[in-house]
Amino acid sequence: MAYAYLFKYIIIGDTGVGKSCLLLQFTDKRFQPVHDLTIGVEFGARMITIDGKQIKLQIWDTAGQEAFRSITRSYYRGAAGALLVYDITRRETFNHLTTWLEDARQHSNSNMVIMLIGNKSDLDARREVKKEEGEVFAREHGLVFMETSAKLATNVEDAFINTAKEIYEKIQEGVFDITNEANGIKIGPQHSPNNPSLPAGPQGSSQGGGCC
Amino acid sequence: MTFLEWRKFNFFDINSNVDKGNIKSALDDAQVRSMSSGNGQLVLGDSQGSIHLISRDFTVHTYKAYNIDVTHLIQSRHSSKLISIGNDEVGINPLIKVWDLSKPDRHDNPTCIRISRSVPQNRAVVVTCLAVCESSNLMAVGHQDGSIIVFRGEIGRDKGSKQKVLKDGNQPITGLAFRTQDKKTYLFVATLSNVQVYSIQAQDMKLYLTEKSFGGCTKRCSIMTESNDTQFVIAQDKAIYSLTIEGKGPCFVVDGTKEFLQCFRSHLVIVANDTASNIPHVRPGHVPGGHTVTVLDINNKFIVYSAMQAPVVGAVAEWGSLFLLSKDYNLHQLNEKDLQSKLSLLFKKNLYDIAIKIAKSNHYDKERLVDIFGQYGDHLYAKGDHYGAIKQYIKTIGRLEPSYVIRKFQDSQHIEKLTEYLAALHKAGSGLGQTTLLVEHTTLLLNCYTKLNHIDQLKHFLMTKDSEVDFDVNVAIKVCRQSSSEAALQLAEKHGKHAWYLKIQIEDHARYLEALQYIGKLPFSEAENSIKVYGKPLLDHIPHETCEFLKKLCTDYKPSNTPLPDLNHDTVERAQPDDFIHFFLDHSLVLVEFLEHIINYPSREKCSTQVYNTLIEHYLCLWSTTSDTTARETYVQKVMRLLSSDGIPYDKNQALLLCHSHKFSPGLLLIYKERKLYDLILSENISRKDYAGVLSCCRAYGSQNPILWQTAFHKLIKDPDVPGHYLSEVLHVIEKDKLVSPLFMLDALSTSSSVNVGLLRNYFLNVLGADSKATETEVSLAEKDTKDTEKLKSLVQQIQSKPVIFQGSRCSVCNETLELPSVHFLCQHSFHKHCFQSFSESDKECPACLPRNKDILDIIQSQEPNKTLNEDFHRELVKEGDPFGVVAKYLGLGIFNKLTLVTNGNPKRKIQSSQSPSTSKPQVKPLPSISKPANTNPFEEYDESKNPFGSSDNAYDESLNPFS
Ligand SMILES: Nc1nc2c(ncn2[C@@H]2O[C@H](COP(=O)(O)OP(=O)(O)OP(=O)(O)O)[C@@H](O)[C@H]2O)c(=O)[nH]1
Ligand SMILES: [Mg+2]
Ligand SMILES: [Zn+2]
Ligand SMILES: [Zn+2]
Repeated sequence: MAYAYLFKYIIIGDTGVGKSCLLLQFTDKRFQPVHDLTIGVEFGARMITIDGKQIKLQIWDTAGQEAFRSITRSYYRGAAGALLVYDITRRETFNHLTTWLEDARQHSNSNMVIMLIGNKSDLDARREVKKEEGEVFAREHGLVFMETSAKLATNVEDAFINTAKEIYEKIQEGVFDITNEANGIKIGPQHSPNNPSLPAGPQGSSQGGGCC
Repeated sequence: MTFLEWRKFNFFDINSNVDKGNIKSALDDAQVRSMSSGNGQLVLGDSQGSIHLISRDFTVHTYKAYNIDVTHLIQSRHSSKLISIGNDEVGINPLIKVWDLSKPDRHDNPTCIRISRSVPQNRAVVVTCLAVCESSNLMAVGHQDGSIIVFRGEIGRDKGSKQKVLKDGNQPITGLAFRTQDKKTYLFVATLSNVQVYSIQAQDMKLYLTEKSFGGCTKRCSIMTESNDTQFVIAQDKAIYSLTIEGKGPCFVVDGTKEFLQCFRSHLVIVANDTASNIPHVRPGHVPGGHTVTVLDINNKFIVYSAMQAPVVGAVAEWGSLFLLSKDYNLHQLNEKDLQSKLSLLFKKNLYDIAIKIAKSNHYDKERLVDIFGQYGDHLYAKGDHYGAIKQYIKTIGRLEPSYVIRKFQDSQHIEKLTEYLAALHKAGSGLGQTTLLVEHTTLLLNCYTKLNHIDQLKHFLMTKDSEVDFDVNVAIKVCRQSSSEAALQLAEKHGKHAWYLKIQIEDHARYLEALQYIGKLPFSEAENSIKVYGKPLLDHIPHETCEFLKKLCTDYKPSNTPLPDLNHDTVERAQPDDFIHFFLDHSLVLVEFLEHIINYPSREKCSTQVYNTLIEHYLCLWSTTSDTTARETYVQKVMRLLSSDGIPYDKNQALLLCHSHKFSPGLLLIYKERKLYDLILSENISRKDYAGVLSCCRAYGSQNPILWQTAFHKLIKDPDVPGHYLSEVLHVIEKDKLVSPLFMLDALSTSSSVNVGLLRNYFLNVLGADSKATETEVSLAEKDTKDTEKLKSLVQQIQSKPVIFQGSRCSVCNETLELPSVHFLCQHSFHKHCFQSFSESDKECPACLPRNKDILDIIQSQEPNKTLNEDFHRELVKEGDPFGVVAKYLGLGIFNKLTLVTNGNPKRKIQSSQSPSTSKPQVKPLPSISKPANTNPFEEYDESKNPFGSSDNAYDESLNPFS
C-alpha cells in the first residue's frame, strides 16, 4: 500500500508492562490476557492518516527482559519514535524509567520523539504510581505523557497517533533529516523523484552504495 | 532464569534412512558440496563433479556435470531447469551450467543448455553464492572478493544475456537473495558484517542501495522466506534477524552457532552446532559434535521441532516433507503431523489458546473452531477462570447451544459473566435464527441487568437497537418494569406499546397528566381504546383535563402532535359518549359538562338514549344534592326542558324511574300526564299533600276515570289535614256517580278521623233507600224462580210417570193448524210430518228445542273428551319412565289450554255454564290442575329418596372421604 511517509517506532520498557499488548491492540484491536514473553523483537505495522497523508507506522516491540537488552539496543537506531512504557501497578517499572531513558538517548538519534506511557490504567484499584508522578517525570525529561489501557483500548490509538503527529510536525519544522534513514523516517514510494518539495527517493538515497 | 525461548512442541515425525543407503552408494567416496530440490526431485552436487538426481522412490540418477566439483545448485521449483556452478579446470573461472532435465541426451543424462563463465574482474575468483529469480529472469553470483555479477536474460540461454558487476567492499559475499515486491525486484546481499538491499531496475539493470543494516552472517546462514513480514532472514550466534526491503524486521533470540538455514513452508529450519556451550546441561540423545535442528513456526511464534541430530550437511524441502542429509549421507524425512494430531497434542497439555492460533492459521473451518472454543471454555471453567471461560463461550455463539453455557453460569456469583454472554448472544441476534435466541434469553438478560443494577447497560441494550427488535418487547417491558420502571417506560414509548406506557405511567408513577397527554398524541382509534382502559383513574385524578379530552374525542379529535387540523377531512372519527359515561359515576358535575358539550355540539349526530338518560339522571343527582336554590332551579329547568322536548330519545320509563327515585315531582307529573297515568298523578299529588292538585286532577280526568275519584276519596279520607271543602267535593262526586259501595264508605268513615257523619247523611239515606228497593225486587224474583223450579220438577215427574197429552194445535214450524200426519215431542212442540222431515236433521230431536239443547250439549261434549284425556295423562304419567316426555306430548294435545282458560276466569264461560240446565257435569269434574294439582306436575311425584343430590346427604359416609 502506498504511503507518504514511513515512521519507525520502538516500544521499550520493563518486561510485563504491556508493550506487546499495546502493539496488538493498536494493530489488531485485540487483547491478549496471557503474558507471552517477547523473545527478541516483534514487529507490527499499521497505516494511519495525519493531515490527510497516509503514514505507515512500523513498530518494533522489544523484549523487556534484561537478558535481551543487547539485542534490542540495536533497534534504537533507526527509530523515529519511542513509546517508553511502565506499569502503573508496579512501581519498580516506573523506577526503571531513567535507565531506559538513558539507554534510549544513548543509542538513538537525538531527535527521536519519546512518549511516556503509564499502562494498565484499567487496574486503578491496584495503582502504585499516581498519574501526577508520570506527568512530572515526563515534564522533567521533555516527554509527552499519557496513561493507557491495552486491555480496554483507552488512549492506545492516541498514544501511537500523537507520537506520529509530533514526528510529522518535526518534519514540517525541518528538525528531522529525512534523507537519513537512520532517523527512522522514509519517504513513500509514491513521491516521484521530480517532486521538488521532497527529496527524491531511490536516487537520492544511494549515497552509501555504489552503482555501476 | 526465565525461559528465553519460544514455547516448544514436537509436531514432526522423523523417518531415518528413507533412501536405504542409495545416496551413500551413489556418492561413493565423494563429498556432497551442494544440495537443492524442486520439481519433484532432490539434487545433490558432489566433490567429484557429479550431480545426483533423487526421485520420489529414492532411486538415484547420477551424471557427470563437471570435471572437478559442483559447488552450487539451484533446482527450479516448477520447471525442469537445473542451474549449477562448478569447476572444470583448476584456476579457471567457475562455470555456470543450466541443464534441462526433461531432455535426456544419448546417455540418458540431462542436456546442458547453457554454459556461462562467472568472471567478475578478469581473474578467477571463488564463487560463494548463487541466487536465481526466474520470474524476472535474473541470476546473481557472489564471489569471495565481494563482487557480485548479476545476469539478466532468459536463464536457459546464453545469448542475449546481459551482466553487471557490483562491488561494494572486499568482504566475501555470504548470502544472496532476490525478492520481488510491488512489481519491483530487490537483491539482498549479505556479507560477514552487514546486509544490503539493492533495488534493481530491470531495463537498465541499475542497482540502488536501499537498505543497509549492521551485522551480517556467515555462508549459508541467510535465507529468503516466503512470508510477507519477515523476508530476508539471517542467523547470528545470538539471534535470528529478519529484514524487509524497508529495513529491520523482528528478531528471535535463538542461541548457538548456526550452521545453515532452510525454509520449510512458513517454518524456518535452523541447523546449529550442538556444542555444550549453548546447552546448560547435556540432554539425552546428545551426540558429540552433532547438530541441533530447530524448526520455528514464525507466524505463531513457537518451536515446532527441536532435536539433537548427528551432524547434518544439508536440508531441503520436497514432497511436503523436510529432508535432512546427515554427514554419513543418510537421508532423514521429517513429516509434519496432521492438524488433528497437533491439536490433540495441544489439548492434552491444555494449550487451547495455541490450538486456536494454529487452527486459525490453518484455516480451520468455523464449526471445528467453535468446538475448540467450547473445549477451551470448559477447560477454563474447570480451572475456575470463569471470566476467561465466558470469553470462549461467547465465540461459540451460533453453534453451541446457549442453554449449555447458561446452565454453567446460572449461579448468582456468575451473573456478570452470564450477562456478558447473553449480551453477546443478543448482539449476534437475528442472524442466529429463532431456535437459538429465545425469549427466555432476553428475559434472563434483562433480569441479569436488573440484578446487577446495570441500568445504563439495560437502557443501552433496550434503546440502541433501532433497526430491528430482536427481543420480545413485551417481555422486555415486563421485566424492566420490575426494576426500572423508567426504562420500561422509555421502552414502551419507543416501541409504541401504548398500553404498557399508560399502564406504567398510571399504575407505577401516578403521572396522570403525562398519560393523558400521551393518549392525546395517539391516532384516534388507539386513543379511544386507551382512554377506555384508563378513563376511570384519569377521571378520578384529573377530572377536568380528562373531561376536556373526552369532549374532543367525541367531537373533533385530532392527535395533538399533528400540526394543523385537516380542514377537508370530512369523515371525522368520533367516539361514542356512551362508552365513557361509566367513568364519571362519581363526577356528576363533570359528566354533565361533558354530555352537555356533546349534545350541544353542532353537526354531531344524535346521541343515544343512554346519553340522555344519563344526563337526566345526573341533573337530578345534582339537583337533589345541591342546596343552592338558584342552581336547583336551573337543574329543574334543564330536566324539564329535556323531558318535555320532542325528538329527544330518552327512555320515558327510565326517566320516570329516575324522577321517582329522586322524588322529582315536576318531572314525574309531566310524564304521568303524558302517559295518561292519572291515578299516579293523583297519588303523587296526594303524597305531596297538594290537595288543589288532587282535585284539579280528578276534575280534569275523573269523568273518564271514575276510579280517580275513588282513589282520591280513599286517600283524602284518611288524611286528617284535608280541608273540608275538598273532601265534600269528592264525596259529592262519588255519591252522584255511585262510585263507592256504601260498605266501603262506612268502612272509610269508621277509619277516618276527619269526616263526620253529617257530611255523609244524605249519601247514606239515598243509598239505603235504593238498597231496600233492590232487595224487594230480588226477593220476589227468587220466589218466582222457586215456583218455576217446582213446576219444572213436577213436569218431569209427569212426563216420566203419566201419559202426555199432546194438545198442540199448531205446527211449530209453519205455525199452521196441525194436520195428520204429525209429530209430537214431549216438549209440547208438534209439527206437520212434512214440516218436521224437511226441517229436522234427526228424527229424535225437536227442531224447535234443538238450538238450545245443542248449546248445552256442546258444552257438555266439549268437556267430555278432556276428561278422558286427563285420565289418560295421569295413567301414562304414572306408568312411563319419562315423565317429561309425557308432559310434552300432552301439552301438544292441548290439555293445559283449558287450564289457562279457566284460571283466567273467563267470565263468559262461567256465566254460560251456570245458566246451563245440565250444569252438573262439567262442574263435577273440575280441571285437573285445580282438583289435583300434584298429578299434573310430573316432577312433584318424584321420589325424593332417589335423588342422589338431595336428602341423601346424611347417607354419605364421611369416613370414606379421602380428602378429609
Ligand atoms: N489489566 C491490564 N493488563 C494488561 C494491560 N496491558 C498488558 N496487560 C497484561 O500484562 C501482561 C504482560 O503484557 P505483555 O504485553 O505481554 O508485556 P510486555 O511488556 O510485552 O512484556 P515483555 O514482552 O516481556 O517485554 C499480560 O498478562 C497482559 O495481559 C492493560 O492495559 N491492562
Ligand atoms: Mg512483549
Ligand atoms: Zn207445519
Ligand atoms: Zn220442542
